[in-house]
Amino acid sequence: MSDSPTVLCAQPDASERAETADVLADAGLAVEEVESVGTLTTALDRSVDCVVTAFDLPDGDGFDVVDAVRSVNPACVVILYTEHAPSDLPRGGPEQVVEYVPRMVPESRERLADVAAMAAAEVTQAAYPVPETETERLAAVQQYDVDQLAAIDAFDRLTALMTSHFDIDVAFVGLMDEHEERFVACEGANWRTLSREDAICTHTILSDETMVVEDTHEDPRFAEVDALKQLDIRSYAGVRITDKQGNAIGAVCCTDGEPRRYTQTELDDLQRFADEVEEQLLLRRRLQEDA
Amino acid sequence: MSQRRDDRYTFDGLPLNPVRPGTSLLVTGPVLSGAREMGLRLLCSSDADGGTVLVATDKDATTMLEDFERHGGVLDRERVRVIDCAQESGDLPEDSVSTVSTPADLTGIGIEYSGQYESTYASGYTRVRTGIITLTPLLVYSDDVRAVYRFLNTITGRIGTADGLGICVLDPNAHEEQVVESVAQFFDGRVDVRADRGALDLRVTGLRDQPTNWTPVGT
Repeated sequence: MSDSPTVLCAQPDASERAETADVLADAGLAVEEVESVGTLTTALDRSVDCVVTAFDLPDGDGFDVVDAVRSVNPACVVILYTEHAPSDLPRGGPEQVVEYVPRMVPESRERLADVAAMAAAEVTQAAYPVPETETERLAAVQQYDVDQLAAIDAFDRLTALMTSHFDIDVAFVGLMDEHEERFVACEGANWRTLSREDAICTHTILSDETMVVEDTHEDPRFAEVDALKQLDIRSYAGVRITDKQGNAIGAVCCTDGEPRRYTQTELDDLQRFADEVEEQLLLRRRLQEDA
Repeated sequence: MSQRRDDRYTFDGLPLNPVRPGTSLLVTGPVLSGAREMGLRLLCSSDADGGTVLVATDKDATTMLEDFERHGGVLDRERVRVIDCAQESGDLPEDSVSTVSTPADLTGIGIEYSGQYESTYASGYTRVRTGIITLTPLLVYSDDVRAVYRFLNTITGRIGTADGLGICVLDPNAHEEQVVESVAQFFDGRVDVRADRGALDLRVTGLRDQPTNWTPVGT
């Protein structure tokens, strides 16, 4: 399997598409060609790093491509590569922010290759903040097998203890991978995953301070997140967990269906629960390394 | 591949050390008494191959360019370009100015910005300073702050990969503290600005070799 960043190139005209694909490949990208929104949708998966698309396609336009990409791979970079001037393009929705490279400038394909190669390797169009050391962090998370961890009773016991100790609806331990939070243990609900742009833990892993949201409806970061309403998360407290190198791999959290405050004593207790989870994870890693 | 530059961006007349290419800075403080001026001064370039792309959200393009010139910017339409989203523009000059009807149209702003960036680049001005002055209307007009997050990832991503410099101004008093803190996550460093009896002070967090205590700014 190639280590090169993967790019989907969507242009309707076969010869133009082949020329674009050649230039992208010369820039070190693994290119897959598609000619329509339909074929792009079929080819899309989470391994795609970047999508380069014409605006006019036989079965839709560039914004249809953006919608298709966001539904499968929300952080993937999309680049509009078109002869249309920006002012000639219809206006997209606020969630359709994209990169744009005009085809009418000289050597536009080479410029596109430059922008795409850099973007595919280094840029995200995620709708959330990403830690500065994301690459190292993701490598650290990949060291853990969530399914294996989920089978361990210790995490279930801890989260069960947390729900009764704090008198809350749900307590969980989650690991944050590239696209979603995956729950190792979850007491009070049967959540398996939550997309990163919906998860409050996306913010928790950014700081070593305890994250408290007393009322999601009153916090502008979360007031419009439908997934939190569907999961009945009205209040939240979470502490990030790190590996021994300091990479934030996930969080230990409390949620409730009602607005709620946490005393300093409760937050100290939450920190102790998180320390315990961190220790358990370190122990599992050590056992894995020794095996 | 694009040419990688090691030349750091410098700030004439400001008590700041040069910063490495690809850096994005959040300038915070009261917009009317210091932060806006600081943002514009950080965007002034004396580089022969330096260009500036301004996203004007709180004033129209003409006023923004006048302010830029007053704070030391050189108005050369080939190298200074504006995306006007302040809804006030009447006769808009030339190719160097694009309009977007509302600060809520983040997709439109992003595309116009990339278009102007590419025009600047194609004219040979490859050390591009980007200014968003200010972020406040983008946040206020967006129903869901996650759209602004995506916009910021896209813009700072381009600045980072193109070895540019990004300067975004935000008045922290206009937003909830949590929003200011989360927006700050998208930047490499933060320049706090305050005005004390007409004189400006600044301090920097998040970057090495910069003044971390309040430091007077010369005029």
